[in-house]
Amino acid sequence: MIRIVTLASFDPGDITFLSKTLYRSFGVGTEHAGERPLPRKAEQDDGRFDALALLDDAPPVRAYADDKVLYLCDVDLANPEGPLGEPPAWGYAIQGGERALVSTFRFKPRGVTEASIEIYRRRLARESIHFLGHLWDLHHCYDARCAMHPSWSPALPDDPEFELDAFCRDKSERRIRLAKT
Amino acid sequence: MRTPGKRERSEKTEEVPSTGGTIASSSDLKAGDRVVYPKQGVYRVTGLEQKDIAGQRLEFVRMSREEDGASVLVPLGKVATIGLRRVASADDIEGVFHYLGATYGDPELDWKVRHRDNVERLIAGGVLGVAEVVKGLHSLSRLRPLPAKERELYDSSRHLLVNEISVSLGVPDVIAEDYVDYALMPPAGVKLPLKTPPTPVELKGPPWKRKKPVAAEEEDDLGLADLGIDLGALEGVGVGATDSEESEEGESEGEKPSEEAAEEAAVPAKPVAPVKAAAAVKTAAPAKKIAPAKAPPAPRKAEPVKKPEGAKKATAPAKKAAPPPKKAAPAKKVAPPAKKAAPPPKKGAPAKKPVKPAKGKKK
Ligand SMILES: [Zn+2]
Ligand SMILES: [Zn+2]
Repeated sequence: MIRIVTLASFDPGDITFLSKTLYRSFGVGTEHAGERPLPRKAEQDDGRFDALALLDDAPPVRAYADDKVLYLCDVDLANPEGPLGEPPAWGYAIQGGERALVSTFRFKPRGVTEASIEIYRRRLARESIHFLGHLWDLHHCYDARCAMHPSWSPALPDDPEFELDAFCRDKSERRIRLAKT
Repeated sequence: MRTPGKRERSEKTEEVPSTGGTIASSSDLKAGDRVVYPKQGVYRVTGLEQKDIAGQRLEFVRMSREEDGASVLVPLGKVATIGLRRVASADDIEGVFHYLGATYGDPELDWKVRHRDNVERLIAGGVLGVAEVVKGLHSLSRLRPLPAKERELYDSSRHLLVNEISVSLGVPDVIAEDYVDYALMPPAGVKLPLKTPPTPVELKGPPWKRKKPVAAEEEDDLGLADLGIDLGALEGVGVGATDSEESEEGESEGEKPSEEAAEEAAVPAKPVAPVKAAAAVKTAAPAKKIAPAKAPPAPRKAEPVKKPEGAKKATAPAKKAAPPPKKAAPAKKVAPPAKKAAPPPKKGAPAKKPVKPAKGKKK
């Protein structure tokens, strides 16, 4: 079961679209566990939120073995500085773990037109699949049409595909099967 | 800037110099040491053990894989030949990123040569060798999709690289992987602050001279057959034992033969298939017997390359231990909302705790 916890106000239609897409991608049931307050402790002096600390401090929800919890927020996330710089943070997850985080901060504005909302929802689905994919031990993928391709890649179009490619889907299915046994 | 990619091969075949950080003798190992077992991952030495086997008292090093607790026993006499090495230092890792960020030469197009080279790089090339495999296959993937077998190798090499970076820098795996891809495919408008990349270890001998692929010689032979030991009788030595289990999990799958039969020769069985955490409780794994007629495996190592002046340490001195994680701030452990039923600490490796960047340090 994937439990979605919103740390900001989200449109119910967006969450419904997301739940359906996640079910189609992973074959795992999804439910919205409710909205919780954003942990302010993770806020940095520059106003951004430390992605690792935010997931760390995110309010726990009731979950069972093999459940995955997906936190959704809308704040500007920060990654730890790497040897060549700071990779843009679209979210965070614990590889092979239980909790993932996605922020809509870098998305194109949701807007009010059907087309802009559609793009927003697709992006929400893509990033959620990406960070949930890390929970099932998926690594990044070179295929820009796959949700496991890095979120900031210059190869990604404005409105990228939001499914896994065959390799990543097979691998996630194996992991999910294994977790069930 | 120097471009990695296809490299000239050395024709010299006699010298077998050690590669960076390779552990030359079991006396270099002590409990608590963190080592990289080529193609398997980062292990922590848990101690030395003696076992009486077929009337002989033998000594083993027991190691436990950090990512999943998989346990393995290596005969003391084999430590030097399996390519065990120290976890890369922060300096080595920095070199890896400059290598990943550099422009790449033409990828090797002959898949047989490429696959053989890649397997050799994973075994003898140190962390930079692993980075070479990832970068090489990544570059190739830009020309055409990788065949299934290499797609698996790409994924398992990426896993090894990410894991070693994570351990060495003390950052979580997902962040380590972001660092890797930030170097491989920087976001639009980002200019990486690249320095001259280190030179990878040179592969040994031209392909046409290397009749037998190097990896095949490594095989899953710990040389116990030389000692007249039946591995089936040896509990805890998971030699080739968990291949099926591993494949089921999709790990190290670059090693499974597929399309062309010829490829098989280049594909090593696992040097030692680690006993998975769950199985490690009783440390009993059904072990494959080694053909007694088999000649002892000759350790083959790649030759080091002359380092360009000012280049980072592509090959660290053998004795050099990895420094403590540079950025290992006292990180908070993420408390999972639900405890897994299975006891082995899947992701509880000590140095893999998330790093807290200094508040306000960021742009
Ligand atoms: Zn990712
Ligand atoms: Zn993929």
